[in-house]
Amino acid sequence: MGYNMSNKTMKTVLNIIFLSIVITSYAQEKPKKTFKEKLDASLVLSYDMSYEFDSEKLQKTELILKPEFIYKFNRRSKLVFKSQIYSEFQDNLETGTPRETMVSNFSKRLFIDDKTSLELREFYFYTRFKNKLRVTIGKQQIVWGETDGLKLLDIVNPQNFRRFILEDFEDSRIPLWSVKTEFDINAIGVQLIWIPDNTYHITQDFDAPYFTKNLFKALPNGVAMEFRQVQRPERFFKDSDIGIKLTTFAKGWDLSLNYLYHYDDLPVFYNTLSQFNSVPTITISPKYERQHTLGGTFNKVIGSSTFRGELVYVFNQNFSSNNPNANSAVEKSNVYKSALGIDYIKGEYVFSAQLFNEWITEDIIPFNRDRFETNATFLASKEMLNDNLKAEILWVHSMNNKDGFITPSLNYWLNSNTQLILKSHLFYGKDQFLFGQFTNRNNVSFGFKWGI
Amino acid sequence: MKTLILILATFFIMNPLSSYGQNLMDGQQIAENTHAKNEGVSVKRNLIMELKDKRGKMRVRKTIALRKYFGKEKRLVIFYETPSSVKGTGFLTFDYPEASKDDDQWLYLPALRKTRRISAANRGDYFLGTDLTYEDIKLETKISKDDYNYKTLKIEKIDDNDCYLIQATPKNDAIAKELGYSKAHFWVDAKLWIMRKSESWDIAGNHLKTVKISDIKIVQEIWTYHRIDVINHKTKHETVFKFENIDYKTVLSDDYFTEEALVDGL
Repeated sequence: MGYNMSNKTMKTVLNIIFLSIVITSYAQEKPKKTFKEKLDASLVLSYDMSYEFDSEKLQKTELILKPEFIYKFNRRSKLVFKSQIYSEFQDNLETGTPRETMVSNFSKRLFIDDKTSLELREFYFYTRFKNKLRVTIGKQQIVWGETDGLKLLDIVNPQNFRRFILEDFEDSRIPLWSVKTEFDINAIGVQLIWIPDNTYHITQDFDAPYFTKNLFKALPNGVAMEFRQVQRPERFFKDSDIGIKLTTFAKGWDLSLNYLYHYDDLPVFYNTLSQFNSVPTITISPKYERQHTLGGTFNKVIGSSTFRGELVYVFNQNFSSNNPNANSAVEKSNVYKSALGIDYIKGEYVFSAQLFNEWITEDIIPFNRDRFETNATFLASKEMLNDNLKAEILWVHSMNNKDGFITPSLNYWLNSNTQLILKSHLFYGKDQFLFGQFTNRNNVSFGFKWGI
Repeated sequence: MKTLILILATFFIMNPLSSYGQNLMDGQQIAENTHAKNEGVSVKRNLIMELKDKRGKMRVRKTIALRKYFGKEKRLVIFYETPSSVKGTGFLTFDYPEASKDDDQWLYLPALRKTRRISAANRGDYFLGTDLTYEDIKLETKISKDDYNYKTLKIEKIDDNDCYLIQATPKNDAIAKELGYSKAHFWVDAKLWIMRKSESWDIAGNHLKTVKISDIKIVQEIWTYHRIDVINHKTKHETVFKFENIDYKTVLSDDYFTEEALVDGL
């Protein structure tokens, strides 16, 4: 019933969007160019084959076609269409046809077979009015924050964890149907966002290579489990996410203040123990819960270095708990998060370091994590042969758990349109921790990107 | 006869080339003149960069470059159009008139969907794989007013045009290190005040680069160059910058020169 209502409402909203495109484009400057001149079409083809050391098998063989069309009505308005044909020939990362229960009906991928899917990546109309009001309506990515590798404020769009956090965020971020409005009040840029698309992180099945098992408690011996269907928000307006971002640039400082009223992109796993046919049974009832996230970012150049950072405060985040008195094995706490980074560029060299802290403010006992956690990332890269060849190494490390991963890569421009990419992902640490659980997934991959 | 002498004397005084060998125009003045040249309030143009390595392998980058003066402050933005895999990359710089104030620079990387601040202190670094530095790109063939001590050497013809040849030496070691040059020679057109050629030497004194600026013609009443050829003698790498569809007349909205515009694109 909820979905039917949502479908109708969504169709109405889509009709409004297309009507606004037509009206706006006719109301603005008269077209001076031909259809061909206004249309900008491009295509990127990428191929990547990854070999897993532990299993001595291919972890994935991936072919992605990304056609993109941008139709510029005039200097102020454009319609953007980006789609993706994705084939993973091993059918290993997302085995079979995923049910995508965490994805709204309007954002689901279309699976042609187990290996190939079609996805509308982005489809939006952008217009800039004469009073500097800018509106973007449609399926899009909205990116907040200053950090690389790990995310704090980049939470507007959910993510597909098909390859944990190894994929480029551009590819793993899930675009959402949303409205973004931007305007200026004196020297302050205001961004308002409304996201009626109830799509959340795509997490992996229990048997998938990148299933994050450390997030789930192991069942005690002799205890059965009943896994209930996830309770997901379905109301079009009431369950929308809304957000605001204020930005300014003053005295060399780039500053932003961000607020998002949203559903956590991971469900809370409520556990209850009961007797079922005399067998102790744990019933797991996953449910998406609301939260408020308040944050801010800064960056400033000092000499040859750029300092940047993020501060985030999350209200009432839910944690799976080890506290025997916790209600349904879940406890709540506010969470303070911060990230401080420095980028140093010298000639062809780039060095970048980031320090991430998370502090659970309440005295709770979260499952498989500490109340105060610190992660660090370090990136070094060098451009060679006039940017023909780039060597890079990224290191992500958990200070608490002494686990992490290292990603060395080489990127070579064969010609104007073709890049060759050689990359490896090397996890280390104990099996029960976030990164250490994937030591058996260490791999080396080779691929290319070709674009016209 | 007196009148004729007076006319000739006036001609020699007025003509900037009158002082052949004797009182050549001061190098600092020549540098200032390159900045005084009319270049319009704003300009929009296609900038095509052809990068060729020593083996002859060529890569082509097509961009749209916009520049606008906000009073004395100059803002420049470059949007990458091709190849597809770098499409959407944008570079924005605020060039402040105060020599003591560092410029502000941003680079938008579509693969990250994030805008990165770039230190302007690294002005001697090469601009996105080309053979010009960030400083060269910012100056747009003009000659720095603040970084060098100049000595006017002579007048030479470049492409049949009289040019002042001035020798530039960085004012101190720190500037030399920042720019990456220990010495430079600039050939500046004595009528148009446009640089037509330059040679530069690296910190160790080795011949580093030759820059040639050509295809100079009037566009919408403004003398405009259409091609820059750069050869890096050290790496044998070459870059050709070609400027097309140059338009000084279309009024460019201030909104193009913002971080938001880097993200939204053209």
